[in-house]
Amino acid sequence: MDLIWDGVTEALRLIFSGNGYVYEVTFTSLLVSGSATLIALVLGLGIASFLAFRAPPGRTLALSAFNAGMALPPVAVGLLVSIMLWRTGPLGQLHLLYSRTAIVIAQAVIATPVVAALSTAALQGLNPNLRLQVLALGASRWQAALLLFREARLSLLAAGMAGFGAAISEVGATIMVGGNIKGSTRTLTSAIVLEVQQGDFETAIALSFILLAVILGIITVFTMLQQRRPPA
Amino acid sequence: MWRRLPALGVIVASLALLASSCGGDHNELILGATTSVQDSGLLDEIVRSFEGVTDYHVKPSVGGSGEVLEKARRGELDVVMTHSPADEDKFIADGEGLDRRPVMQNFFLVAGPEADPADVRDAVTVSEAFKRISDSRSIFISRGDRSGTNVRELSIWGEAGITPQGQSWYQESSTGQGQNLIVASDKDAYTLVDSSTFTVFEKKVALRALLTDTANPNIYTVIRVASNKHDNVNSAGAIAFAEFVTSPAGQCVIADFGMEEYGKSLFQPVGRCPSANVGG
Repeated sequence: MDLIWDGVTEALRLIFSGNGYVYEVTFTSLLVSGSATLIALVLGLGIASFLAFRAPPGRTLALSAFNAGMALPPVAVGLLVSIMLWRTGPLGQLHLLYSRTAIVIAQAVIATPVVAALSTAALQGLNPNLRLQVLALGASRWQAALLLFREARLSLLAAGMAGFGAAISEVGATIMVGGNIKGSTRTLTSAIVLEVQQGDFETAIALSFILLAVILGIITVFTMLQQRRPPA
Repeated sequence: MWRRLPALGVIVASLALLASSCGGDHNELILGATTSVQDSGLLDEIVRSFEGVTDYHVKPSVGGSGEVLEKARRGELDVVMTHSPADEDKFIADGEGLDRRPVMQNFFLVAGPEADPADVRDAVTVSEAFKRISDSRSIFISRGDRSGTNVRELSIWGEAGITPQGQSWYQESSTGQGQNLIVASDKDAYTLVDSSTFTVFEKKVALRALLTDTANPNIYTVIRVASNKHDNVNSAGAIAFAEFVTSPAGQCVIADFGMEEYGKSLFQPVGRCPSANVGG
């Protein structure tokens, strides 16, 4: 238990002493997970709009796939993305393995099904007549979609936060495709793993608290955004 | 709504570009290294020093010696630093690697609980120590992952004429070197570990170094991946790295590493470091 307390004080010390290493890995985490979440939002909302509004044939099958995708094992994603990015793999010429982009790809693959599945549920929860009415009033498809997104924003923001949570807390795939390189692909989570492997539990716990604080801070901002009264 | 799609595409592409601006270059050198080199912190140090004197960006791919050599066989690595002599022999005999050069060494040692129920301290050789552990049915934690340490451990069991697999006292942790020590410490068990990792973890585990195998040093070698077998191998970078780690400058990085924190070198360089104050 002492270790936990030491970890908390160490975390505060690291934050306020301006430790460059901690800021660097935190920045890397936010950059790659933020990018992955944005990609997941674009793809996920696109998929959700298509499935919810167009009701294509085979929708239930596709939805089952995305719902199951929420439980996609990160280590399997990491392995598959690695093999794709290997020099001898299909995307090898891009030289992306062991780079931040590789982590963005892996985390986007993990977060997209989460956003897609939860957003589809959110959009399907709207009154189906609403969209018809908006279109009948002369809105373009794009305007209608934006209006419906706004109508479902509580659930959509929740979907975005779930996607971000899946991305930033991920470590298995992150290490596999990123390589845990100091100054480049070392994120908060992969730094924690390395500290544990080096037996430096105090720093590992300190970094864990910093990660939790970062997640809490960002999710709080988005929750405040979510709970704000809608513009009249 | 599809009219705005190009705009979205631009956003996504620029994000990807932003993230990739710090990686994905063509001057990359992919170095396969073992967990003991990373867990001790030496890998970061070697990479930093090497990048300071060349234009190459090193991307370390870390795993046990078995995993590293397998990736090298697939042409995924440019140069490897491993410590598994038999696997390395085969790797070179198969024409997959060339120009093997010794870089540094440490020693394997049997670590175990202070009480030492198997009397390993009184053993003369490590195979005798292993026999005592087997005879007393004391718990032994094996890496079980085809790492260099695991391969050495299995060959010692072979020398002792014992087949430990399947015995209730023989457990495989399948973790890296440091983590394996923590598991052994937690279970009051014996294990085989390299002296560098043990030095780093000595204060964090309740284990003692009971018997060091000074007769058989654990030698880390650097091997270039054969470029005639795989198109993508960065041969020039691999040569530069092999030259650097075996040069006086590289050997000094190794000799100095650990001095500050532990009062001794964690790994002994095999060559000369002119400025080293202890041992050379």
